Amino acid sequence: METEQLLLNMGPVHPSTHGVLRFKLRMDGEIIRDCQVVMGYLHRGTEKLGEMKTYLQFVPYTDRLDYIAAMPNNYAYVKAVEELAGIEVPERAEFIRVLCMELNRVVNHLVFLGSLLLDLGASTPIMYGFREREKALQLFEMLCGARMTFNYIKPGGVREDLPEGFIPKLNEFMKDMEKRVDDYEQLINGNEIFLLRMKNIGVISAEEAVNYGMTGPSLRGSGVKYDIRRLEPYSIYPDLDFKVCSYPEGDSYARYMVRIDEMRESLHILRQVADNMPPGKAATTQRYGIAPETGIPSSVMSYFPRIFTPPPGEVYSRIEAPKGELGFYVVSDGTTKPYRIKIRSPSFCNLVAIPSMIVGLKIPDLIAAFGTIDVVLGDVDR
Amino acid sequence: MWTGDGMNAYELIVSILYSIDVYDLLLDAFRSAGMEYALRVIIVLVELAVLFGFVLITVMFLTWMERKVVAMVQSRYGPMVTGPRGLLQPVMDGIKLIGKEDIIPAGADRWIFTLAPFVVFVAALLVFIPLPFGYSLIISDLKVGLLYIIAISAVSPVAILLAGWASNNKYSLMGAMRAVAQDISYTIPLALAAIAVVVFTGSLSTVDIVNAQSGTLFGIIPKWFIFITPLGFILFLIASIAEMGRIPFDFQESEQELVAGFFTEYSGMKFAMFFLAEYAHLFAVSGIVVTLFFGGWTGPVLGNIPVQITSLIYFLIKTYAVIFFAMWLRDTVPRVRIDQLLNLGWKIMVPLALLNLLFAGFVVTAGVI
Amino acid sequence: MNAAEELKQSFPESVTGVGLQTNKPLAVIKKEDLLMIAGKVKEMGFDNLSVVTGIDYVDHFEVIYNFFSYNNKQNLALKVILERENPAVDSLFSLYKVADWLERETYDLVGIRFSGHPNLVRILLPDGWEGHPLRKDYDMNKEQWVTIGEDGEDIVSTDGSGILRRK
Repeated sequence: METEQLLLNMGPVHPSTHGVLRFKLRMDGEIIRDCQVVMGYLHRGTEKLGEMKTYLQFVPYTDRLDYIAAMPNNYAYVKAVEELAGIEVPERAEFIRVLCMELNRVVNHLVFLGSLLLDLGASTPIMYGFREREKALQLFEMLCGARMTFNYIKPGGVREDLPEGFIPKLNEFMKDMEKRVDDYEQLINGNEIFLLRMKNIGVISAEEAVNYGMTGPSLRGSGVKYDIRRLEPYSIYPDLDFKVCSYPEGDSYARYMVRIDEMRESLHILRQVADNMPPGKAATTQRYGIAPETGIPSSVMSYFPRIFTPPPGEVYSRIEAPKGELGFYVVSDGTTKPYRIKIRSPSFCNLVAIPSMIVGLKIPDLIAAFGTIDVVLGDVDR
Repeated sequence: MWTGDGMNAYELIVSILYSIDVYDLLLDAFRSAGMEYALRVIIVLVELAVLFGFVLITVMFLTWMERKVVAMVQSRYGPMVTGPRGLLQPVMDGIKLIGKEDIIPAGADRWIFTLAPFVVFVAALLVFIPLPFGYSLIISDLKVGLLYIIAISAVSPVAILLAGWASNNKYSLMGAMRAVAQDISYTIPLALAAIAVVVFTGSLSTVDIVNAQSGTLFGIIPKWFIFITPLGFILFLIASIAEMGRIPFDFQESEQELVAGFFTEYSGMKFAMFFLAEYAHLFAVSGIVVTLFFGGWTGPVLGNIPVQITSLIYFLIKTYAVIFFAMWLRDTVPRVRIDQLLNLGWKIMVPLALLNLLFAGFVVTAGVI
Repeated sequence: MNAAEELKQSFPESVTGVGLQTNKPLAVIKKEDLLMIAGKVKEMGFDNLSVVTGIDYVDHFEVIYNFFSYNNKQNLALKVILERENPAVDSLFSLYKVADWLERETYDLVGIRFSGHPNLVRILLPDGWEGHPLRKDYDMNKEQWVTIGEDGEDIVSTDGSGILRRK
């Protein structure tokens, strides 16, 4: 029988491409023979914008990259600037930053869980995931008044100290959340259909995954026991007790399990941080490289100037964001604005491996594998 | 327990009219005008109008119920604003859909594109003809009722293929292809599981099947076929959920993969037709499951309430229980993959259904029941 | 001795300078030898190409490759300096598959050509976009409009009068 290959445009507007991503698929019936990824529909030129803003003004733009988990974005950029300018940060500020980032990791994985299961056709888990996420977002709202785009971490510390009653509320959330993670595992992991859809789908070996530049939970799902929080410790992570979760199978199910385990680890970190929160200032009291008299007073809330000039130089600084390695390459020429900002976003680099993972499989497998890579299009397109 | 042939709905209407002394008057009036056949036609039309109204109201109620069940499972309220607890929501949805622009894509085959939703809807309605809603509450007790139901169910994939092809959309076409593949592989275990029941009853008539299930087994449990051939029931249930195209087997739509499957390009009233047909089908198939395996409308006699009313209530309770199960399933499990589904159908369900048939034949020839 | 100095010792001709990228060892490589050095770097255990950064310094371009070794927990940055006119350098696609997109992105936004890349086309911006935005001489005032053509491909035009309905 004579057959013809079908060119299918999946996206940019499609229910399960998590935004505006487009797959150009060459289909042989239901089987994918070739896959090209087309992106850029959400490109906002963040890197170019960075060249026109002062160092502090760029922080809100980082929120818009990975809007599911914005806190690590804030931190990754701020960390680069701090390394560049050699800014000392008080211990309490570092504790608060880690607290925010780990809470955001839980939020990110809840959204991942919900949207993955929704992609597989189960409509309920996303509601459960968002129910818990709502509580976390309320905590963030308490902290900085924003629910998703925080602009909370800034060079030298955080914007404001913890509000009154935050820690008890956080403890309440954690107590609830620990039970919920067990619930999810009970509801989802044993489901035969779920296992059928996830096991041995989108398999990628450890060497391949490293070569394709995959990072984060997606790489740990291939059995590479790496975590920047351990390999290149930053902030207060060296003092914290947590496991690096990894599964050797390299399939969609392993990537999913890594994230479930990471939620537990994040809660464990949160508990340590909340219990050991040191007293002190939440932002540095020293003044760094203030620009020549501008007449603008530094913010009353913190001690860090709005305009400052790091010494000329360049830095590549990276952290373990919920989706993988998030790096900022910042070049300073000694003025008040960065000369160049390059963002190494985890979603972008994890996506490189998708075509090799799904060629020969079917559309439902593409959706399952793509769901477990966990990308956010704001982060891919920048 | 009532057994016996009973009447069909036409005879029931006649007997009601007769009992209130109207029928003779009407008959005389029409006879004097020489239009005796007109009375028959009018009664049949009334009967069909009642059925149509009943199906429409049921479908509207089912859409509401679906949203409420989903809401219950997902710990939220669901529709609450329109009417008491959102009961009027389906009406508002209907108004919205009627008010929408009816878009026909430029590349579509206009005639087939317009025809397909009607074919689907009519096929879904036709299934109700031999379905016994209660004692005497049946439009027509066909001697080949079960065969008729299976035959009519085979019409809707044809219409879906028409819709998918005429839309001139790749997603629609793939959805339609999937629907046909799925339907072919699931009609066979469905029919085989139903035939096992026919082996017990010796009749394809739905009324005979219901009558065969009155009485009890060993004096305690009702003599429903679910207790006699549980395997047949499971096979039939899985196959009928696949036939209905609901999660976990909703490949023809599979929102996350094919956007909306075969009705991607449909809007307005045509979309509403598919929607209505889907829920009418859900009700019909649940009714068939009840008829074949849960004793249809049988149940204990209650005092002097007319048997037609109690039997209808029993039938509705059982049917809604099955519908609730289907909705509950939809909210709980993810979707399987199309090839996994076909594997399940051909490699597991067909052999099991044949085994079940063998078992039924053995039981009947051995004279156990 | 850090990795950059090791490189300098083994390839004194190719490595024109060593230094620090704040806290990471950095080696400046002759652009002709990049592919050879990168192969060597991969042998040294740097299995992860983290990022490719292109920077426009007005009189010249720089491309910086940040490597990481999962086993040795070491960092290494390589830098090549390219002339202003027609900046081009060898592609690392044959060694690191992630370079595929990272280089395409650098080509797209900074306009550096990577010779040997199998599919060097724009990735974030639509085909036909004029200029490379992250160059310092990019004209920010030039408006470019993107529409979708008959076959679904992007069409870029500098005339927006037919697209926007505003008067």
